[in-house]
Amino acid sequence: MTTTGALKEFAAAAIDAKRDWLIGIAKSALQTPETGFREAKTSRLVHESLTELGIPHENGIALTGIKGYLKGGSSGPTVALIGELDSLKVQGHPHADPDTAAAHACGHHAQLGMVLGAAVGLMVPEVLAELSGRIALMAVPAEEFIELQYRWGLRQEGKLGLLSGKQEFIRLGAFDDVDMAMMTHTSASPAESKFSVGGTSNGHLAKHVRFIGRAAHAGSSPHRGVNALQAAMVALNAINTQRETFRDADAVRLHGILTSGGSAANSIPAEVEYEGRVRGISAEAITDAASKMDRCLRAGALALGSKVEILTVPGYLPMVNNEPMTKGFKANCERLMGHGACKVYPDSRTRGGSTDLGDVSHIVPAIHPYTGGATGSGHGTDYLVNDYEQAVINPAKAIAMTTIDLLANRAAMAKEVTAKSKPRMTKKQYLKLQTKRFSEEVYDPAPRASRSGLA
Amino acid sequence: MEVKSIDELKLAVVAEIDRRADEAVGVAKRILENPEPGFRERKTSQLVRDKFNELEVPFQDGLALTGLKATLSGGSSGPTVAVMGELDSLIVLGHPHGDPETNAAHACGHHVQIGAMLGVAMGLQAPGVMDSLAGRVALIAVPAEEYIEVEYRNGLRSEGKLEFLGGKAELIRLGALDDVDMAMMTHTELRDLPGTFGVGATNNGMVAKWIRFTGVAAHAGAYPYDGVNALNAANIALTAIHAQRETFRDEDSIRVHPIITRGGIAVSSVPADVRMETFVRGSSIEAVRSAAEKVDRALRAGAMAVGGSVTITTTPGYLPIKQDSTLENVFASNVERLIGPGQIVRMGHRSGSTDMGDVSQIMPAIHPYSAVATGNAHGADYLVQDYDTAVVMAAKAMATTVVDLLADGARGALEVKSKFRPSLSKGEYLSLVRGMGSEETYRE
Repeated sequence: MTTTGALKEFAAAAIDAKRDWLIGIAKSALQTPETGFREAKTSRLVHESLTELGIPHENGIALTGIKGYLKGGSSGPTVALIGELDSLKVQGHPHADPDTAAAHACGHHAQLGMVLGAAVGLMVPEVLAELSGRIALMAVPAEEFIELQYRWGLRQEGKLGLLSGKQEFIRLGAFDDVDMAMMTHTSASPAESKFSVGGTSNGHLAKHVRFIGRAAHAGSSPHRGVNALQAAMVALNAINTQRETFRDADAVRLHGILTSGGSAANSIPAEVEYEGRVRGISAEAITDAASKMDRCLRAGALALGSKVEILTVPGYLPMVNNEPMTKGFKANCERLMGHGACKVYPDSRTRGGSTDLGDVSHIVPAIHPYTGGATGSGHGTDYLVNDYEQAVINPAKAIAMTTIDLLANRAAMAKEVTAKSKPRMTKKQYLKLQTKRFSEEVYDPAPRASRSGLA
Repeated sequence: MEVKSIDELKLAVVAEIDRRADEAVGVAKRILENPEPGFRERKTSQLVRDKFNELEVPFQDGLALTGLKATLSGGSSGPTVAVMGELDSLIVLGHPHGDPETNAAHACGHHVQIGAMLGVAMGLQAPGVMDSLAGRVALIAVPAEEYIEVEYRNGLRSEGKLEFLGGKAELIRLGALDDVDMAMMTHTELRDLPGTFGVGATNNGMVAKWIRFTGVAAHAGAYPYDGVNALNAANIALTAIHAQRETFRDEDSIRVHPIITRGGIAVSSVPADVRMETFVRGSSIEAVRSAAEKVDRALRAGAMAVGGSVTITTTPGYLPIKQDSTLENVFASNVERLIGPGQIVRMGHRSGSTDMGDVSQIMPAIHPYSAVATGNAHGADYLVQDYDTAVVMAAKAMATTVVDLLADGARGALEVKSKFRPSLSKGEYLSLVRGMGSEETYRE
């Protein structure tokens, strides 16, 4: 039997051998940015790459997702390695699609290179033969929780149940045979120039809000109108006044965009739409902040005498990083890049943002480490991956090596992870929780608001 | 007894006013230096009391706390014509004649009205004049025309000392105008009016609101999340009020202009008690009602947004003015006679308010203007420049108008009365304005 150390060397060498091909895939994805559930070209790129590697896989999961398998020499647990297909939308990003403004301002393109890289390392026959279990290679759509209205439309058409990729993968059963999951995200923080792992992320929920007023000629008869834009402005001002009521430790974020602010400057806006986001470190913090956002939205409507419809959509759960996997990942980072190459955060530390790997981490043990390689501001026009060695090759090796740790030696470590880590909830409990978080309210100051649950 | 002709009577009145002109102007200037806001006009009231005593006219005082009413009786019975002057000042920071302690200041020219009213009394006391008139002249010094210090006046209301917060409405309620058939006064206006006196102006009506946002106090640094910020509620409400403005029609001349009278008590404590006052003005009662509803919902929205409550105490303000055209023509003809043709101009709508509007709903009334001042009305620079016109000429115009109304068996006054159709009886007036008041607390 070969030692795990030797297996890791085989895997790393194989990844190095395919270095240019892997980086090429990431760069190719960078040039075809597509937002969630629209990743047709990116999905085809992954499909073709897996085909080229001869890895069997299924396409079209949650519209654009892909899941392939590598089978070890003997049976055992399944480790999922995840890459995200979707881009963000950022106007003015140097690699933005000029038509859609879609842009990889969050580095997901590098993740595809990483997952394929890990596959390249693990599929070395000498390595695979020593592993007990399977590796599920996943390219998952729609991690960025945006374009709510579009996704809500897909849901109405029956094409989606939940509105993000991993949520849908869970709902559709793609995680049913998965025992633990792992992915690595890029970071532009100088403090994370090599690797980091641990901490948590904010949970969130999203709101699609529609203020409904009454159109009228804005010059000749503004008194006949009810200005939905003014209602939204009052609401946004009111939301800002809530901020002093949030505890620092709750890391609450209330933010949003106006997706429709009126149709003609000479007509009193009768329909204004707002897409809002409520984030926080716990369910209680999110519920409290969301109720404050709601009352501000209602106050905007009350002030102007308009109606407001508030659609609440379940977002993500806070990330729970699995401790044994965290330690394993850190050790491999240090093996690759020396002592201190991986910063470990305490469980309470949140980055403020959110990820749907948080949802996965409530059902199976998971880690969501970060790797350097990027510069600029996350989700900004200047967020660029400029060190592809660190953004693709090194994390591919770290993931592959951690997978070897988990599944070699008759999957002893994977079995220990499973034995020691009690998931927060079952899939069934998860789906029940998320479904309950959908709600739809119509507030009409006169007559009084009516509430109806929506499932 | 020899009955004098109208012309003779007017000549006598005008000559007497000229003779005592310095005395009348002196009163105005003394009041200017002793400004007192409404229902607090103690010195001003005392000055009028002294003058009525000097003139040896019978009077009542203490009407609506500080008001006075003197009566001159004619040689025979007939209608009663009231000539009014307003006792109160405004409160304006930095006015050159302001009270350094209270900031009370005559930035609206009421001080000259008392001078003019006393000038009318002096003129009509010329020998033989009253004997030739049929009816009576009521000389009324009215408190509190400026609708300010709402919280203070609401306190007087709670103590049972007032019901309405304006002087003339109180006088109506108390019956001080029950025996009055028609009323007039003259207000100052800026000199840029293209004439010496103006008539025909209309005014906005209004309601006043006293507003109290209630939140929860908490340490603003340590535990702001335990607080409910009433100042933020007020801030949102103000933003929401401004968002209504585009829905106000030009012709309704809506004015909403709040002030914050309490904005918190310690910067380190989340404000839990924040108070505002505002007027809602408009050219018709309907327009005021509609705008007031919008203001209320904006205030409620502020409270709703922070999770606090708001108490809105609405008090009836003033009704729009309806100038009596018959009376106005008499006044205008006297101005032309006194200072020549072209000196009287017709004025349009004015978006301020006066409680003479309330009087005008129940009896013929006029509220002409004298073009005598410079600066910004209600501003720190508002100054009466021409006391001769503001006091002496206004007194002559009103006194000669009284002569026209009450001479010749009060033919003129009877004509005014016969042509007048009151909008409201006193009873209807009282129920209308009482219906405009309300107090509601909203927590939603």
